[in-house]
Amino acid sequence: MTGVHRRVAITGLGLVTPLGNDAATTWNALLAGRSGIGEISIFDASGFPAHIAAEVKGFNPHLAIDDRKLLKFTNRSHAFALAAAEEAMRDAGIWPARGSETRWGCVVGSSMMGMEFAELGEVHRHCGPDGEFHVERLLTDRITADPMVFCRIQPCTGLALLLRRFGIRGYANSVHTACASGGQAVGSGMKLIRRGTADWVLAGGFDSMITPIGLAGFCLLGALSLDNETPERASRPFDATRNGFVLGEGAGFLVLEEWEAARRRGARIYAELAGEGNSLSSYRITDSHPSGDGPIQAMHQALANAGAPLDAVDYINAHGTSTPMNDRSECTAIRAIFGPQACKIAVSSTKSLMGHLIAAAGAVEAAICALAIRHGILPINANLREPDPECDLDFVLGGPRVMRTGVALSNSFGFGGSNSCLTFRNPEEAPG
Amino acid sequence: MADCPKILVTGLGAICAAGMDPESVWHRVRSGQSAISPIRQWNASVWPVSVAGEITEFNARALVEDRKLHKLLRRTEFLGLYVADRAFAHAGFAAYRDSLDAAARNAFNDRTGVYVGTGGASFQDQYVFFPLLTAAAGDLGVFGRELAATVNPMWLLRTLPNNVLGHIGIRHGLKGPNACVMNHSTSGTLAVAEAAEALRAGEAERAVAVGHDAPIEPQTLLYYHRLGLLAADAVRPFDARRSGSLLGEGAAALVLETEAAATGREAKILGEFLGSGCASEAQGLLSIRRDGEGLAYAIAVALENAGIRAADVGMIVAHGNGTRQSDASEATAIRRVFGPTPPPVTAFKWAFGHLLAASGILEAVLALVALRHGTVPGVATLRELDPGFANLPVSAEPQTPRSDVGLILSRGFGGTNAALLFRASPSDAG
Repeated sequence: MTGVHRRVAITGLGLVTPLGNDAATTWNALLAGRSGIGEISIFDASGFPAHIAAEVKGFNPHLAIDDRKLLKFTNRSHAFALAAAEEAMRDAGIWPARGSETRWGCVVGSSMMGMEFAELGEVHRHCGPDGEFHVERLLTDRITADPMVFCRIQPCTGLALLLRRFGIRGYANSVHTACASGGQAVGSGMKLIRRGTADWVLAGGFDSMITPIGLAGFCLLGALSLDNETPERASRPFDATRNGFVLGEGAGFLVLEEWEAARRRGARIYAELAGEGNSLSSYRITDSHPSGDGPIQAMHQALANAGAPLDAVDYINAHGTSTPMNDRSECTAIRAIFGPQACKIAVSSTKSLMGHLIAAAGAVEAAICALAIRHGILPINANLREPDPECDLDFVLGGPRVMRTGVALSNSFGFGGSNSCLTFRNPEEAPG
Repeated sequence: MADCPKILVTGLGAICAAGMDPESVWHRVRSGQSAISPIRQWNASVWPVSVAGEITEFNARALVEDRKLHKLLRRTEFLGLYVADRAFAHAGFAAYRDSLDAAARNAFNDRTGVYVGTGGASFQDQYVFFPLLTAAAGDLGVFGRELAATVNPMWLLRTLPNNVLGHIGIRHGLKGPNACVMNHSTSGTLAVAEAAEALRAGEAERAVAVGHDAPIEPQTLLYYHRLGLLAADAVRPFDARRSGSLLGEGAAALVLETEAAATGREAKILGEFLGSGCASEAQGLLSIRRDGEGLAYAIAVALENAGIRAADVGMIVAHGNGTRQSDASEATAIRRVFGPTPPPVTAFKWAFGHLLAASGILEAVLALVALRHGTVPGVATLRELDPGFANLPVSAEPQTPRSDVGLILSRGFGGTNAALLFRASPSDAG
């Protein structure tokens, strides 16, 4: 099999996050320990049980996308995706061209889609002002007469926009496993290069659920922190007093490149994307087993897949959502795998500062791992003040830790039970 | 791919308007009787399009017994879970797993993958908010405060796109690699391709690939109509007077195993996965290239991936959705790859509609059944072949496949094209 010997370099990255509208701004905010969480400003959320979130700020889609035809199909999360992907492509300094366009692939972790709230409101006024849905009124409904509403919410629209924008003509896929989407998309992109399907892959994730319906969905589940008075403290992964996650939004994209091709053109290699683990928890739709069953298999596979021994791991960017169940199960899983070695691994959840970016989280956190390796600095796990005896690991506290990282892992676990773990290796340590 | 393990097919499941298992769908297709019928889920008699491939006897409890799931799942998910159950039963998994000791059972579960292709957002899920919107009368403060009293707390979980993946895992205790593809009409096809590649790479020993979709809902139907994609009465792939597609609903599943796993448990072999290809046209959400280049490239990649030549293909199951543009560019793509004398071509959407996310995988299941029967079924709605496709060997009458290899084509929004290649095992020797 050709795949076994082909390795994958990360040569470009781009971010739009609650901490900044590009990778450098986001990274600097992480190092400064600045929180991106505050009162929701996109709509009046004051009546919701949770009315704080990590919003992308000062983002102008018209600056990010100069193609008017594309803009017509673009909702908020697509605009994040186009901007982050553009940054990643420019950062990598390579672009699909005649002859190489079919050797480029694209895999994205896409947001859950629905009509915009204003559109739903119009359909409601026309088809169900009394609260009942009157199907025949759809025939004269203005929103239903506009196919662009439909086009903007197709699960593959974000992918279609990226393919067109960059002229990618090879393998193209859009995946969704809730909060594991971004991680699984990046892992899937790595495999495309390994098995010879592509030489370059644009891989990432995008999401924006800070809408009345998205917020309602998570509020109803009781998954969100209700610490509305102290937004910057609300996301505190692994703290004994943690009480839910904080909804975020944004996009993260990576340019993945076949290692030898990247070396030949003298590309800057942030890190080797060295392995992927992918498992199902099959316990509950919303939780993994407290024993860590599910995440354990994903982390084991990610290490085996990278050929990395347990003692090579220096850093774990945890899923760390700040929900009671996730954080406990994740720590148990890390302990189960690394045993006494676990306390020698630095761990942080960057969701403590930027909230939970849902389908984008895994891709954004993959980019953060690449930056941590590149710069030799680990971002902090903010807001961890009261240690939880069940979450007893070496968390990065106080300030960023200056530390060279040889191997890093990034965890992403989703509703539905999908788990993704990615392995990153310092390019100085990559064999060959 | 000489040093890759062979990937074998050991279980099938299918449901659509034409039947509740692969053999009944096959018999319905062979009979030449389309299962397209007037929509019953709402009164569609005054609608611009009032027919579809609807499962008229839909009964959630008959599809999935587990009562706990009935408040948590939607129509599309019952279809997906049902075909996965049927494919597992067909493959004889439960009996085999029960024969293992505890450690081997755990290994079996960890080494079984689940790959699902699923459809898009359902508008009906959002109408659930109508009573709350009425109560709020435009005041978001009221909307937020009354939320918990008005809307089912499980609303978000009911609408998770990856519900079938998660619930297959829970119902069958499976913990292996997985993916949930949401890529319009290539979703199920790519779920098969990803499952097979995971087995080739040694990530798992067996996997189930599922595609499911239930797009026949009022608002979706109107959008497809307004985009000019729907016919009024029938899907006529490659016909001179074809006028569009019709929506259908259903699901299909394939159980794939490495040769070692399948022969190790003496499984009945139905066929072999040979290869897959995927290519984008990069022209936006709705455009289709006239020259068929994206599809032709996907077919070329699949042939190379399978290590076979175009001349080895015995039957082509075209996407054949019956729209003017897609069929024309598909005929062009087939000519580009296969030259003037392609193998027999057929298409299935005339019989049960366009199942979108489930279409490619259902058609792959039927391709295996067809090849095992040694028959390329006719396109019964075809009256007059489009003169532009003069040498395309598609017919209303059955044809004989040139070999036991089938090529299945899928095309979706976003200009993505996917191709699968399977070899069928002879039906009597399986």
